[in-house]
Amino acid sequence: MEAAYALIGYGLAAIGPGVGIGLIAGNAVQAMARQPEAAGMVRTTMFLGIAFTEALALIGFVLFFLV
Amino acid sequence: MITAAETCDFINEVVCKPANVKELFEFGNFAGTQISRTEILIVLAALIPVVLVFFGLRKKSVVPGKLQSVVETIFSLVKDEIAVGVIGRGGERFTPYLLSIFLFILFGNLFEVAPFINFPITSRMAIPLFLSLVTYFIFVFVGVREQGFGYITHLVWPSGVPTALKPLVGVIELISVLLVRPFSLAVRLFANLVAGHVMLSLLLASGYFFIVQPGVSEYIISKAPVGIAWFTLGLLIYGFELIVSILQAYIFTLLSAVYIQTSLHPEH
Repeated sequence: MEAAYALIGYGLAAIGPGVGIGLIAGNAVQAMARQPEAAGMVRTTMFLGIAFTEALALIGFVLFFLV
Repeated sequence: MITAAETCDFINEVVCKPANVKELFEFGNFAGTQISRTEILIVLAALIPVVLVFFGLRKKSVVPGKLQSVVETIFSLVKDEIAVGVIGRGGERFTPYLLSIFLFILFGNLFEVAPFINFPITSRMAIPLFLSLVTYFIFVFVGVREQGFGYITHLVWPSGVPTALKPLVGVIELISVLLVRPFSLAVRLFANLVAGHVMLSLLLASGYFFIVQPGVSEYIISKAPVGIAWFTLGLLIYGFELIVSILQAYIFTLLSAVYIQTSLHPEH
């Protein structure tokens, strides 16, 4: 039963970062399409943003294993 | 779950791994010693980059050969894009450190998709935690050396914030820089690799068991399509994990550079 609660918690923790990564990637594609010469810089910043956002989901994932 | 994965190396059950790597999983400790598979792979992950860079740059020809061009591409990626591109002024002197952790994590991650090994050493929490603590000490040291004691006071009492909010922002900033940064840096690498490893093991092992069905020979035909479906999905995930391995090594190095940059040039 505790494992089921942990699973629900992980699912909830993944919603926000999912939306966030979608926003980041979508806006990065828009920026690259508007200004292709800045694509390298945008890509680096996009990976940074994805990494920061993804950490929240991954902490939920680790907590799921710890419970 | 973590402890289950830890003991998984040393039991003979084929539950948590593809069956064709049995001999590597039974490696265990050598007779009479305490050397385990993880330690051998750590040494390998440290030695392979050394050998690669040594042979790649032994004869520095103007028209580079295959190996030399690969090594030079990795070197210029780390030096130009990460060290100079992110840290900026004074970033070149961090190139050796960034290149070392990039290559170590890269080969440690690639063990996940290496056939017959299938075990990323970075999915043991000790290794990402150690690497992130090294980065942590470097960026705190650089911050204190560049800004003196002002580095700490700047964290606790940030400028450019209304005075009423300063205690609150200071506490948040202190926790996020000194506690959350090393923790999230380690957990990001660790959780990505554990997730990939668990997913690959489950898919490939269940595919194997649906097809082979040890002991139950009459059900092979009816269950084989399910096994083939799992196996195909596992092979697709295999390619995805190859990308994840390279990307996570890049992100770890990039974030280390960003953290060093924030303590080197606080005005940005």
